[in-house]
Amino acid sequence: MVNAIKGVFISCDIPMAQFIVNMNSSMPSSQKFIIHVLDGTHLFVQPHVEQMIRSTISEFRDQNSYEKPT
Amino acid sequence: MPQVKIIAKNFMDMVASLTAIKLDKLYNNVFICEAILRSLPPLAKKYVLQLLYTDVPVPATMLEEWVLADGVSKHRAAIDRMIQLRIFMETTDRKKGTSYSLNPTFQKNLQKHIISGGVLPREPMNSNNAIKLPSLQELETYALQQWECFLLQLINSGQGEKLTGISSSMMKIFQRGLLSQRDRDGPRLTESGFQFLLMDTNAQLWYIIREYISNAEERDVDPAELISFLLELSFHVTGEAYNLNTLTEVQRNTLKDLADLGLVKLQQGRKDSWFIPTKLATNLSVSLADSSIRKEGYVMMETNFRMYAYSTSKLQCEILRLFARIEYQLPNLIACAITKESLYNAFDNGITSDQIITFLQQNSHPRCADRVPSIPENVTDQIRLWESDLKRIEMTQAHFYDEFPSKDVFEAACDFAREWRGLLWEDSKRMRLVVKSEVHNKMREFLHTQSK
Repeated sequence: MVNAIKGVFISCDIPMAQFIVNMNSSMPSSQKFIIHVLDGTHLFVQPHVEQMIRSTISEFRDQNSYEKPT
Repeated sequence: MPQVKIIAKNFMDMVASLTAIKLDKLYNNVFICEAILRSLPPLAKKYVLQLLYTDVPVPATMLEEWVLADGVSKHRAAIDRMIQLRIFMETTDRKKGTSYSLNPTFQKNLQKHIISGGVLPREPMNSNNAIKLPSLQELETYALQQWECFLLQLINSGQGEKLTGISSSMMKIFQRGLLSQRDRDGPRLTESGFQFLLMDTNAQLWYIIREYISNAEERDVDPAELISFLLELSFHVTGEAYNLNTLTEVQRNTLKDLADLGLVKLQQGRKDSWFIPTKLATNLSVSLADSSIRKEGYVMMETNFRMYAYSTSKLQCEILRLFARIEYQLPNLIACAITKESLYNAFDNGITSDQIITFLQQNSHPRCADRVPSIPENVTDQIRLWESDLKRIEMTQAHFYDEFPSKDVFEAACDFAREWRGLLWEDSKRMRLVVKSEVHNKMREFLHTQSK
């Protein structure tokens, strides 16, 4: 019988996908959120982590932006 | 980011959306008939004029004979437009098929108009009547000034400066779609508000007039009367004075509001008072495509992301502040820079990179505008790149299916998902499928029927 899992489908570019996989492996076992790595640019994750992923990515983006020290 | 667009439809679309009774009443006014005739596509104009003196319904097949093979789509578009405006009435007869005839009120009035030449209900007042008419240049500056004042008040109402005479209830109506009430910081512009600011003047004017007319009913003013008065206004000559005593009470009240917006200028002499329509008013019936108010561009964009705006207007400064960092302001110049932070600010507020780029292109200084492209490519590319940097990940609520019993079931499920446009990802080798959550229930039922 066909199995159905509910979650969030993520579509992004390869570096971003790797970033998320890395984030996942750095999490303690109980909090790992990736259900399946579908291919290089697509992931299937648990439903409640959307916001967490977005905030981690924007932190990462801010770390990469240069701001002139005042 | 959600895409919210303010579509400034033109007058004719608004007229077309009126009810049948109101539209028929509207056609009693000769000027409306002329304005509508002007706004029709060329093929439709030809049909109207050709059928102007024909009293019998003309069969549709005869109309189609007038068109060459490659004009059929234009023909259909013209006919649809005319039916929408209720100029063409369609009658179906079993023997003769569909036939069209002109709306009788419209026809009669247009015939009258062609023969008599269309006299306005009021004459311009004589210039030897000791009236000091402002020159066209002064009139334009006045109109622009009023309009800018109005826009500034619209977006800065939190600062409480009462610059124009528009009643606060009117301002609230205009602000409804554009500002949101935030209890803590005072009113803040919404996404549509920002997009509104970046539109060009004509589009903004349409939006405001549309809001004004849609609110007419709440103020006990008949919108059809309002539309007919506005269209009449667009036929007046810019710069000529018209006496106020030729207007009805309703029209006079409307005129006061229009004066605050900069569409007319009110003046008072010793005995009479009169109004002078400005270019903004006479452009009302012109469609958005051929706008003749092309303000002089004032922005020069450099390849080092610096922007110089030759302007002294506060409104333009505010608009630039939306997406650029204002470095300093000189008596005739505003120097700004487009930075990542200022753009991120703009994106947070719901402005898209396309809007910013279109705004820059439309307002570029004539010296810059001659260059191709008017804005340096590295700037436009960078703005787009910064925007796409915020959108690197796309997340969708979905369901993941695997362990299909056979290839056929898998293929059937794929096709089913594709039909309902819910297919996000598939892997035919390992027979796995990802489908949007909205389609999940239907998918489950489908799979139940498949397994039986």
